[in-house]
Amino acid sequence: MSSQPLPPVPPPQWVVALNSPMPRPTKAAASIPDPPGFTSSRQGGKNRSQQQSAASSAPAKPVETDTLKLKKAWEIALAPSKQIPMNGIMMYMSGNSLQIFSIMMVFMLFKGPIQGLISTNTVFAKFDTEGTRSKLLGVKAIYVVMQLLLLALGVWKVNAMGLLPTTRSDWLAWESERQPLERAYFALG
Amino acid sequence: MRLQATLLVLASCVPSAFAIYPDEVNHVDFHHALLGVPSSHSTFFLKPSPSSNASLLYTLSEQSLLGAINPRDGTLIWRQNVSRSSLPGDHGILRASDGANAVVSAVGDYVSSWSALDGKLIWENWFEGEAVTDLELLELEDATAAASSAKDTIALFGGKAGVVRRFDGDSGEVKWEYKDDSNDLPFQVSSSATEVFYISLQSALLKGNKIKVTSLDTLNGRQNHHVVLNSESDVSGPESVLFVGANTASPLIVWADKANKSLKVNVIGTKQVSTLNIENTSGEEIQSITVHTAKKLNSLPHFLVHYETASGSWAEVYHVDLKSAVASKAYSLPFLQSWSVFATSNVDANVYFTRITESELTIVSSASHGILGRWPLPATLSERGVHAVSEVVTKGDTVAVRSAALLESGDWKLIRNGQIEWTRYEALFGALAATWAEADDQEDLAHQLEVEGHESLIKAYVHRVNRHVHDLQYLPDWLKELPTRVLTSLVTDEVSNLDGFGIHKSVIVATENGRVYALDSSNHGTVAWSVKAAEADSWDVKSIITRPGSATVYLDDGSSVTLNTTSGAILDRAAATTQVRSIAFINDDGTPLAIGIKPNGAPMDSVDRPGFFVTQSDDGRVLGWSAKNSKSPVWDFAPVPGQKIIHATTRPSHDPVASIGKVLGNRSVLYKYLNRSLVLVTAVGDNTASFYLLDGISGKILHVSTQEGVDTTQPIASAMSENWFAYSFWGDATDPSDAKGYQLVVSELYESSIPNDRGPLDSAANYSSIDTLPLPHVVSQSFIIPEAISHMAVTQTRQGITTRQLLCTLPASNSLVGIPRQVLDPRRPFGRDATAAEAEEGLFKYSPFLEFDGKWYLSHTRDVAGIRSVISTPTLLESTSLIFAYGGDIFATRATPSQSFDILGKEFSKMQLLLTIVALGVGVAILSPMTRKKRVNQIWKATS
Repeated sequence: MSSQPLPPVPPPQWVVALNSPMPRPTKAAASIPDPPGFTSSRQGGKNRSQQQSAASSAPAKPVETDTLKLKKAWEIALAPSKQIPMNGIMMYMSGNSLQIFSIMMVFMLFKGPIQGLISTNTVFAKFDTEGTRSKLLGVKAIYVVMQLLLLALGVWKVNAMGLLPTTRSDWLAWESERQPLERAYFALG
Repeated sequence: MRLQATLLVLASCVPSAFAIYPDEVNHVDFHHALLGVPSSHSTFFLKPSPSSNASLLYTLSEQSLLGAINPRDGTLIWRQNVSRSSLPGDHGILRASDGANAVVSAVGDYVSSWSALDGKLIWENWFEGEAVTDLELLELEDATAAASSAKDTIALFGGKAGVVRRFDGDSGEVKWEYKDDSNDLPFQVSSSATEVFYISLQSALLKGNKIKVTSLDTLNGRQNHHVVLNSESDVSGPESVLFVGANTASPLIVWADKANKSLKVNVIGTKQVSTLNIENTSGEEIQSITVHTAKKLNSLPHFLVHYETASGSWAEVYHVDLKSAVASKAYSLPFLQSWSVFATSNVDANVYFTRITESELTIVSSASHGILGRWPLPATLSERGVHAVSEVVTKGDTVAVRSAALLESGDWKLIRNGQIEWTRYEALFGALAATWAEADDQEDLAHQLEVEGHESLIKAYVHRVNRHVHDLQYLPDWLKELPTRVLTSLVTDEVSNLDGFGIHKSVIVATENGRVYALDSSNHGTVAWSVKAAEADSWDVKSIITRPGSATVYLDDGSSVTLNTTSGAILDRAAATTQVRSIAFINDDGTPLAIGIKPNGAPMDSVDRPGFFVTQSDDGRVLGWSAKNSKSPVWDFAPVPGQKIIHATTRPSHDPVASIGKVLGNRSVLYKYLNRSLVLVTAVGDNTASFYLLDGISGKILHVSTQEGVDTTQPIASAMSENWFAYSFWGDATDPSDAKGYQLVVSELYESSIPNDRGPLDSAANYSSIDTLPLPHVVSQSFIIPEAISHMAVTQTRQGITTRQLLCTLPASNSLVGIPRQVLDPRRPFGRDATAAEAEEGLFKYSPFLEFDGKWYLSHTRDVAGIRSVISTPTLLESTSLIFAYGGDIFATRATPSQSFDILGKEFSKMQLLLTIVALGVGVAILSPMTRKKRVNQIWKATS
C-alpha cells in the first residue's frame, strides 16, 4: 500500500465562495428593492466599519478627518482659479472673430462655470459633516467666486467678440423714425 | 466627387463682381435705338458700296438724327445727331447717290458729309447765319468728277440773299459761290450735266411770284442766263410750287393753279410751260397734290402725281419729252376710297411706282398701267400712311418689292411683298412721360387682407377661412398646371423665371404725337399696345399717374385721359379746365386725388385734408400752401436777386429707410436727419449756382451751398434720397487751389455731429416742422468727374435695405451709369488711409478724382442717346430695382446695387441638386441593408 499522502481535499464550494469576492451585481439586480426589514449590508457595513473605526480609534479622530475634509474642500474650491490664466490665454489667442472654433470655446467656457455653480452643493456634499458645515460655507463662497470669475472671463470674451448688446447700435433696431405731424405733397417741375 | 459638386454649387452662389454679365444683356435690359420720325424727303434706300448689291435704308429724321437702318431686320447700323446748327433749323435735307459711299446732310447752317457704310464723318462745314434751303449732289460726267470718287455738293443757302455754293466731295471746301443780289426768295437748286440751275421766286408787281431760273456754270459758278416763268397768278409762295426736280432724271418744275384744275409743268432751262388738265372724277375737292419722280440719273423722265381728297386718292402718270419740253399724260391709277402713299423706285432706267393703301400694295411700271404685283396687306396697317420708300427687284416677269412706310402713328414698317417684316416705333423718340403700370390682379387680395387686418380676431379668422374655402375653386386648375410648372422651373434658370416678383411690369409711355404706348418689359420692350389718346396732333403731358389697372395722363390744359393698362382702351376723359403747371398727387389715405397747380403756383382748389402743397411758379419761386387754403401761400421762397430757380427736387415718394442711423466702427450711431418734406432747390446766377435745402412745410432754409465759377450753360443735375443729396455742375477754378471741371458733390444730413446723439428732439416719436425743426448737421465731399451729368436719379427698392445707386445720365458718352453709394460717402477719410474702425464701416481713403468704373455702366456697350429722364421703381425682390430711361432712346434695365442676394444665380442648377439628392438616396438604399446584415452577423459572431 502506498503511503502516499492523499492530495488535499479541495475546499468546499462555500469556502471558495467565501474567499472570492462577490460578483458585481448586475444593474437589474441592483435595482431590485430589498425585502422589508432587511438593512443593506453595504451601507450597514460601512456604518459598521465607521463605527468600528470610531470605536477603535481615539475620540480626536473626527476632528482630524474634518480638517482633512476641509483641506480637500479648499482644494476643490480653488481648482477653478488655476483654470483662469489658461482660459484667459486661450481666449486671448483665439481672436474675436466669430468662428466655429472660438464659438465652441466660448460655449465651453460658459458651460463649465454654470455647471459648477449648479452643482455647488453636490460637489461639497461628501465633505459635509456636522463639524465642517459652518466652515464649508466660506469654502463654498470662494468656490462660487471662482466660478463667477471664470464666467466673467467668458463674458469679457463675448463682449470682445461684440456679442453683448452694450452699444447704442445694438438697440438701433428698436428705435423708430420720428413721424412728422404734417405731410407735404410736391408738385415741382 | 459629389462633395466637390456641392461645393461648386455653393461657390457659384457667391457673386464675384458687381457688373452686368454678357449673358444678362438683352435679358435684364432692352434698348430701342431710335431715330425719330423719318422725314418724307430725306428717306431712301441706297447701295452704299458699288461692289455690293445690298442696300441700306437711310433717313434724316424730323428730330435731326441721321441714320442707316438694315432693311432686313430694322436694326440701326449707325446714327449721328446732326442738330449742331445754331439756327433753329426746321427740317434737314439728306442727299446721296448710288454707289458713292457718302451721304450729305444739311440742317440749318450745318452741312456735313458722312460715310454711308459706317457713319464716320467725311467733312463738315458751318455757315454762320445762313440756313441751307436746298442741297443736291452734282452728277457730273466731266473729267474732274470722274477722278474723285465722292460727288460734289451744290447747296443753296437762304439767309438774307440766296447763295449757291459748290462743295468739294472729299474735303468739303467751297469751290465757288454765287451770290444772288436781287431780292428774290431763294427756293431750290437743280443740276444737269453741264449747268446748275438756281430757282428763286421773284415777287411780281401786284401779287404772286414769278419763278426765276438762273443757269450757272458748274465749273466756276458764273451766271450764264436766266429765264423767268410767268406763274404769278398761280404761285403765291414757296409752298405753291409742288415740285422742282433735282437732276436730269426729272428736270421739272411743277405747280398747279389755285383751283387745282390744271397742272403746269416746265422743263428746267426752257421757257415753255405745259398745262395739263387735272381730271378730277371723284367729285371731291383736291386736298393735296404730290409729285413723285425717279431720283436716279439715267431713269426715264416719267413722273407720278398723287391727288388726295378727303376720302380717297388717285394718281396720274405723265411722261415728259425732254427734247420738245412737253409733258403728256400716260395713264392714271384709279381713285380708291382709302389713303394711299406712293413710292418710286428704279431698276436700271425703268421706273416703278409702288402704291400702298390700307388694304393692299400694288406695283406698276411707269411705262404702262398694267399691275405687275399686288399683295393684300394684313389688317395691322389700320393707321394712315404718311410716306413710303420702296425698292423693286425684277426677275423676268415677276417683281419683288420692299417698302418702308411711315404711318401717321410714327410706326415705320417694312413691308416685303405684303408681309410686315419689322416695325420701328419711331414715335417713342422724345417720349414726354413714362411710368410703370400697376397690375390689378393682386388688388382684390390686398383689399381682403386689409379687411382682415381691421377686424376682430375671431371675425378675421372666419373671414380668412371663408376666403380659403372660396379659393378652393382654383385648386383643380392649380393642380393641373403644377406638373408643367415644376418641369419648366427645372429647365429654366432662376433669373429668367421671376415673373412672380414684379420684375415684368409694363411701362406706359406718352409720346409727343399724342399717343400712349405700353412697352412689355418681359419681352424685350415690345409694344403691347399703342393708342392715340390726344384729340389734337400733339400734347403736353404733365404727369402720368397709375392706379391698379389704369393709368391717367394729365395734360397742361387741365384735361386728363384714363386708359386701361392691359388693353389700352380709353376709359375716361376729363375736359380741359385751366392751364396747369404741374400735378400734385395725394395718395396716402382715402381716395387718391390729383390736383392741378396753376402757372402762378397756386393749387386749383383747396382740399379738406391735412397737408401742405409745395409748388413752383412761373415767376421763379417755390411756394408752400396749406391744402385747406388755396388763396394765399403759407410761405414762399425766392433766391437772392440775380439768381433764378432752374430745378427743384425732393425725396422719391417711395423712399423707405431701413435704418435710422449709421453704425460707426466703434458701434456708436450717427443718427440720420430724416425729413419727408425736404426740397432741394437749384438756383443759378451769372456764374454761381446755389443749392438750397428747404423744409417743405415751414419753408425754412436748412442748408445752403453756393458754388462759384459755375458754367450755368452746362447741365446742372441734382437728386435726393434718404438723408443725402447729390448735385453736379461744371465749375471753374475761382482761386488757384480750386478744381476746374465737372464736379459731383454729395452731402449727408445727420441729426447731430456727435455719435449716439439724436439732437434736440431726442427720442420724441413725432415732430412738427412748424414748431421746432432742428437744423441738420451736413457732411459734404466733392469729386471731380470725367464728364457732365445731365440727369440724376436714385434706385428704389422695396424696403430700402439694399444700398442705393446714384443713376447718372452721361450725355457725352450716351450712357447711363449707376454710382454706388459707398463710393459717394462724404465721411471718407481725407488725406490718410482709413483706420480699422473706418474700414469696418466700408470707408476708404478719399480721392478727389472719381473715375466711372466700367462695372458701373448700366448701359454697358449700348449707345443710349438723348436720355432726358430716368425713373426707378422697386420690385418684390428687395435686391432688384427697375430702371427706365426715356426722352430720346428708350432703355430699361434692372439694377442690383447689392447684388442679387435674394435670388439664386444663373449658375445654380436645380437639376444637379436633384441628381445629387437622388444619387445619395440610391446610395443609402443600397448600403443600409448591407450594414444591417453586417451588424447582425457581428452579434452572432460575438456570442458564438
